[in-house]
Amino acid sequence: MSRTLTFNIFRFNPQDPDSRPHQEVFTLDETESMTLFIALNRIRAEQDPSLQFDFCCRAGICGACAMVINGRPGLACRTKTRDLPDEITLLPLPAFKLVADLSVDTGTWFRQMYQKVESWIHTDKEFDPHAQEERMDNALAEEIYELDRCIECGCCVAACGTAIMREDFLGAVALNRLARFILDPRDERTTQAYFDLVGTDEGIFGCMGLLACEDVCPKQIPLQEQLGKLRRKMALAAVNHMLPKFLKPLD
Amino acid sequence: MSNSAVSTKNSALPPKTSAYLDWLQMLSGAALIIFMWTHLCLVSSVIISPAVMDAIAWFFEATGLVYVFGPGIFLIFLLHFVLAARKIPWVTRQQTAMWDNAKRMQHQDTWLWIVQAGTAMVILIMGAAHIWVVLTDLPITAAKSAARIQGGAWLVYYLVLLPLVELHVGIGFYRIAVKWGFLSRARRKGFHAKENMLTIIMISIGVVTLARFMFLTIH
Repeated sequence: MSRTLTFNIFRFNPQDPDSRPHQEVFTLDETESMTLFIALNRIRAEQDPSLQFDFCCRAGICGACAMVINGRPGLACRTKTRDLPDEITLLPLPAFKLVADLSVDTGTWFRQMYQKVESWIHTDKEFDPHAQEERMDNALAEEIYELDRCIECGCCVAACGTAIMREDFLGAVALNRLARFILDPRDERTTQAYFDLVGTDEGIFGCMGLLACEDVCPKQIPLQEQLGKLRRKMALAAVNHMLPKFLKPLD
Repeated sequence: MSNSAVSTKNSALPPKTSAYLDWLQMLSGAALIIFMWTHLCLVSSVIISPAVMDAIAWFFEATGLVYVFGPGIFLIFLLHFVLAARKIPWVTRQQTAMWDNAKRMQHQDTWLWIVQAGTAMVILIMGAAHIWVVLTDLPITAAKSAARIQGGAWLVYYLVLLPLVELHVGIGFYRIAVKWGFLSRARRKGFHAKENMLTIIMISIGVVTLARFMFLTIH
């Protein structure tokens, strides 16, 4: 027998002066293999066309449908209702600017983040559009790809107590982004250049190791290991000049 | 990350300050973890015999180590508090944000951090008072410790302080391991379970030690 699901959904439109933040209750009969994405579309189609939420790919690739599902950030399209209780509470991601209801503006945040960690290959080499792409060791390419799988949904930021408390904290996604460039041999930045970007309390040294990022990431990016490696690398870079020559990791 | 707070490069701090402070926070924490475990082992020697504890205390007294370690540990204790407190929210808005996030997420490691921050406040006061009482009444002997415990009030005091310290130390040990990348994803869960077991063992040893002091005949 199918369940009747109760949805408590956050409603607020900052653009509307009459709108006040509140929760609205919707009920829906559960269908087989129903995802939250399907449920939300049905609510919008059948009950309230003004409900706002984001989606695009429906396959866990675009990251647009991230929201807080029963307390934890996750992707609506990847969350099956059968894995949830009868009552489901949906909130917009914290830490990002609210557009309306469940829709937030992650784009502005991510654009600033790219600028902040200079999220592009830094090289003095002249680009030759006719030359073959430089070959890369396959194992290394896979290692970089593992970090590049990030879909920038914002779940790690919305789950991070530090990022929610301190607006200037970069967040796991930014630190993972930088870790990806550190691995890339085409990027000619020095360790000191990376240190200048994230060797601060707003960067890696602000991370308190709560590991909510690791635990909610819908793509299972190895954030715990990357943040740990980055902290060690940046911490050693800071004391490199004090170490005896045989211990210097950066020489 | 707000619009106005996008640059880490233009931080007002000298470039390496955050890194140095993070090193110091970790190293002072690690030193205190080692000290606390050693301290418990030495004090619990009274379970074997008060004479063993007295012999160990005599060694530290005779070599003068207690006069170095005592104030030294107290300074590291204060230093660690100041360094770690940089991460604790003191502003109501931040405290509320952290608390709401923990309640909403029901995420174990986030709760553990709150336990760590909460126990730190109590340990600062109760630990400082304990260090003061012990260091102003040297030399340490099993008889003096037993007399203090048998007074009653200090028994309650240590029954509160002991689990708080062991919780703080255990969580701190786990957090250093994950923050500094000493644990792989696969080993995290197992390591955490072992660390919990270690905390329970340490609290148990502490309780047995307190019971031994409570029922020790003082000559």
